[in-house]
Amino acid sequence: MKKILATIQKEWILLRRDVAGFMLLFLMPAVLIIVMAMVQDAPFKDYQELRFDLLLADNDHSRLADEIKFGLKQSKNFHVVDSIEGKPLTEKKLMALLKGGKYRVGIVIPQGATAEVINAANTVANRISEKIGMGKLPAREMRDSMYVRMYFDPVSKPTFRMSISFALDKYITYSCSNLLVSRLGKLGMSQGENIDTVQSDEFKRIFQGIGIKEEPLNDKGEISKFISSVQHNVPAWAIFGMFFIVIPIAGNMLREREERSALRIQLIPHAQNYVALGKIFFYTLICSAQFAVMCAIGLWVLPHLGLSALYLGLHPLALIPIALCIALSATAYGYLVGIVFKTATQATPFGAISVVIMSAMGGIWVPLDLLPGVMQNLAKVSPLHWGLDAINHIILRNGSFSNVIPHLIALILFSTILLLISLYVSRKRTHSVQ
Amino acid sequence: MAHAIEITNLHKTYKGGWSPALDGLNVHVREGQVMGLLGPNGAGKSTTINILCGLVKPDNGKATIFGKDCIAETLTLRKMIGVVPQQIAMFSNLTAWENFRYIGSLYGLTDKQTKDRAHDLLVRLGLDKHADKRINRYSGGMKRRANIIASLLHQPSLIILDEPTAGVDVQSRAMILDFLKEYNQQGKTIVYTSHLMEEAEQICDEVVIIDEGKFIVSGAPLELIKNTTDCKKLEDVFLHYTGHSVRD
Repeated sequence: MKKILATIQKEWILLRRDVAGFMLLFLMPAVLIIVMAMVQDAPFKDYQELRFDLLLADNDHSRLADEIKFGLKQSKNFHVVDSIEGKPLTEKKLMALLKGGKYRVGIVIPQGATAEVINAANTVANRISEKIGMGKLPAREMRDSMYVRMYFDPVSKPTFRMSISFALDKYITYSCSNLLVSRLGKLGMSQGENIDTVQSDEFKRIFQGIGIKEEPLNDKGEISKFISSVQHNVPAWAIFGMFFIVIPIAGNMLREREERSALRIQLIPHAQNYVALGKIFFYTLICSAQFAVMCAIGLWVLPHLGLSALYLGLHPLALIPIALCIALSATAYGYLVGIVFKTATQATPFGAISVVIMSAMGGIWVPLDLLPGVMQNLAKVSPLHWGLDAINHIILRNGSFSNVIPHLIALILFSTILLLISLYVSRKRTHSVQ
Repeated sequence: MAHAIEITNLHKTYKGGWSPALDGLNVHVREGQVMGLLGPNGAGKSTTINILCGLVKPDNGKATIFGKDCIAETLTLRKMIGVVPQQIAMFSNLTAWENFRYIGSLYGLTDKQTKDRAHDLLVRLGLDKHADKRINRYSGGMKRRANIIASLLHQPSLIILDEPTAGVDVQSRAMILDFLKEYNQQGKTIVYTSHLMEEAEQICDEVVIIDEGKFIVSGAPLELIKNTTDCKKLEDVFLHYTGHSVRD
């Protein structure tokens, strides 16, 4: 134990003397967390809290267009622009504006759209009335080529396009349903009675009654705490930052080999194992401290930058073993890189790029649900996946320590395998290279 | 007197090597002796030292130190031998004292043992006033002396030095040689490699000249000078046996 403590002390002195390195070890992950949380906040808010201009060319000038416009105007997300310099927008002008890049989306309601919807509603109403022996409304063959057209700025992302499409679809469906019920009502209504005024409020209530509302899984949680970029980004980028400990660890080991102090250790009986354990303990602690710093930033710094505060779940103490296991995996990986590679030129790019690859595989950049099945299976190889999922259990799902035991076992197993490989390579190299 | 080192028919060829580094080498070193292992570049001196330290496995043959096999009993032997590598094998960003404290604790010494031994060696090698300076701020000679101290903290019975005076000034060299003589007088066996024949002549009880991995000749320096035709100093003997051609 004394030998391990001596190694920890030695590493601490060396790190403390490298002031710039020491600062960077904590400063860079801190900057990473702040920048990523802020940058990711915008797409996270995408289509939830953002309000943007939506160009609308109304060639219909009738009920459907009015209802779509009304729906869009009621929405918090859209500011409907249907005229420019006092002139109503045409489809041509709308497309020109989108090509200019100032606007991101435009919709064109075609001429006769309302008529087409009414015709469809009448057709449906007639089919129903045939069966119950009511009257008949005028109807013709339906046209297939009638669409509300959407145009997007080519730089718009698919998720943006999809959410606009969903919103628009909702208003059209609402309008169509409204019209259908109105036509059905008209069949049974006496002359002179106004169906629209009678039933419009009722319809609103009916549709609200079958609306959707998100509820927290855990009765102690609040949805708003979980739907924030901080909650999703701080843990993910914290783990990513922790794995960059690979570079200082490998650098430290290569420097010791270059300055031959590693040879001194090799000449001391049994020292290599104690030195390895000391290094692993030391860097695991440093890495865990990095995690603590990054959580502290999420808790106390990000709220000052206009973001929400990090919520640590109902069992925040469970984060300690998780952080230690992630730190151990990162350290074991760094140790392996330091053993396998012979120069910093080999180790540094490999270490950095492999961390980026493992983080991509582990769902740090893109949620795993969006990745193909093969990638989702491959994610199980990445310790970053286990780490992130464990933290998500605690801070997003309000889970407890028992929920993350499999994750901790996976992380410890990963670390053990890497350390055994390091030991094997180290022993083999000592005798085979010579 | 018993043998401290016995090297018998040692063979070693490195992977991809042109020729064998050791080709049936036989060397014997008596306990309490200062033995100079001499040879031109590529003669096999460093390979021999690395085998004795258990860092390199021989292809064939046997090397023992105090009767213990250098490969099979490496860990036991490492407690008994002190190796001073050719390079400065120390943590350059730590002070000399911090280096000694760390190395001492890895040898399992108590803080007091390390402190007492390091202090004694620091005084004897003239570094006591510089113990709190970082190694990377030391001169070449100071680094060499600190490198020797680090190898002697555990008080080994056999010391193996690989060119301990390479690149140091005259004063530092004199101090190192005096120290080694004094250390030998305490009954310690010293094996020492150098390219400086004058130095070997000065401190060695016996020298062994090897070349191309083979034993060439051995004996006390003065005896070798006397018994070799037209030789007035050890360098002449060395050139007589190893030739004048430049080695790669």
